[in-house]
Amino acid sequence: MTDYFLCKPGDIPEGEGRAFQAGERVVAVFHANGRFHAMANKCLHRGASMCDGAIADGGSTIRCPWHNWTFDLETGRNVIDPREALRKFQVRVEDGQVILSA
Amino acid sequence: MNESAHSGFESARAVTPDPINPKIRTMEVVDTDFHFSPPWPVIRSYLKEPFKSRIWHYPAVGLEYNPEPANERPGVGQDTHGTAGTGAEVLRILDQFGTDIVILNPGYNRPMSIFSEPVLAAFCEAYNDYLVKEVFPVSPRIRANMMVCQRNPELAAREIRRVGHHRQFVGVFTEFSALYEQLGNARFDPIYDAMRDFDLVLTAHSGGWFNHFSPLFNGARTWIELFGNAPIANAIVHLAAMIVQGLFDKYPKQKILFQEGGVWWLSDFMLRIDDFYVSAPGDIALTERKLAAGERYLNKLPSEYILENVRFSTQPITIPKNPKHFGWMLELCHAKDLFCFSTDWPHQTMDPANWVVEHPGQIDEAMQKAILGGNARKLYARL
Repeated sequence: MTDYFLCKPGDIPEGEGRAFQAGERVVAVFHANGRFHAMANKCLHRGASMCDGAIADGGSTIRCPWHNWTFDLETGRNVIDPREALRKFQVRVEDGQVILSA
Repeated sequence: MNESAHSGFESARAVTPDPINPKIRTMEVVDTDFHFSPPWPVIRSYLKEPFKSRIWHYPAVGLEYNPEPANERPGVGQDTHGTAGTGAEVLRILDQFGTDIVILNPGYNRPMSIFSEPVLAAFCEAYNDYLVKEVFPVSPRIRANMMVCQRNPELAAREIRRVGHHRQFVGVFTEFSALYEQLGNARFDPIYDAMRDFDLVLTAHSGGWFNHFSPLFNGARTWIELFGNAPIANAIVHLAAMIVQGLFDKYPKQKILFQEGGVWWLSDFMLRIDDFYVSAPGDIALTERKLAAGERYLNKLPSEYILENVRFSTQPITIPKNPKHFGWMLELCHAKDLFCFSTDWPHQTMDPANWVVEHPGQIDEAMQKAILGGNARKLYARL
């Protein structure tokens, strides 16, 4: 596991997401209700970029921009079929920096 | 955002990922179903008199149902993923999705809901003229199915003969549903006569006709019923009529592309229609074309016409989790020969090409090429 510096917290506005290349991985990072969440960027359905999706359900889910597959930001699980899950990664704010462990 | 190492951590780079598999951009991709929606004022400017002076708004259609209540994206209607109304806008989307050649279908998806046939025919002329004058000249990558007044075959044939010489028209757009007479019925022969003269493919696209009463539609409540599954049954009904009412015996070179009617039912359908035909073919002799020809039977087994004359666009493909099952389904449905890639952009179930190249264990290189473009090239004489 490697810790990556992503950005400053203000670089990802509340209610939005961004994608980062962290080593070999592309990780989507979302800022919802003052917290950051990180998960694999590629939707399990048809491969859309989740970072282009819409945060919904009061900031608890992210919806795929192509076909609305909706994933829980805390668990990465699809809200309709929890057997489908995007890989989650740890992300934290430390000394004014957003840090990803991946 | 800072891309350099920071406070002892590894640095990650902010990126804008391309969701299209890079292999797609190395292959020829023909999108056989892309909905094109010129703004109404543009269409109106092409309307001929006396229609232009009397028709100020796009004629309203009744009981239109779009996916908004299902996908919870208010305000976008059917155009979930955007709207393209000019040649330049089409090219922008093609480049975004890695598409080389596109075959436009009318984005005004419910033309048959216009109650007046003369108004509908005038609308079709205006749409087709706009394509010829302003869209085709933009790029040879843009081809189209022409819009016709489907429920009046004489008016449709007149339009095919009027614009059929424009080579960027590669086919004729029609719709099928439980509310349309079977496209295989001999009543539509004027359309098939005209298409034969111009070597055009008939596109049979799932559709509605929502201002007409249907117990099947009126009993539905959800988008899943109306658009998700009803088209499968309707495609089967229309395809069966084409075969057993002798369409392909009278027009042996006529090609048909079914769109949005599903694909995986084919394996059962081909067995079942052959079995019924061999057991009980008696009333085939009583159909209009067979009566006129004085013939008793079809010239071939029903399933043989499918392999020769009919193709199926892929969107929205469904993929089983078990790869072995996926491989079997592709084989049983003759995917290598019958499937033609389509996106259906910009509608809700828009299907980029990723799936074609991301299952190499089931879809080998040759089948990838066939589905993405090769089968369309064989199907369309003008491509």
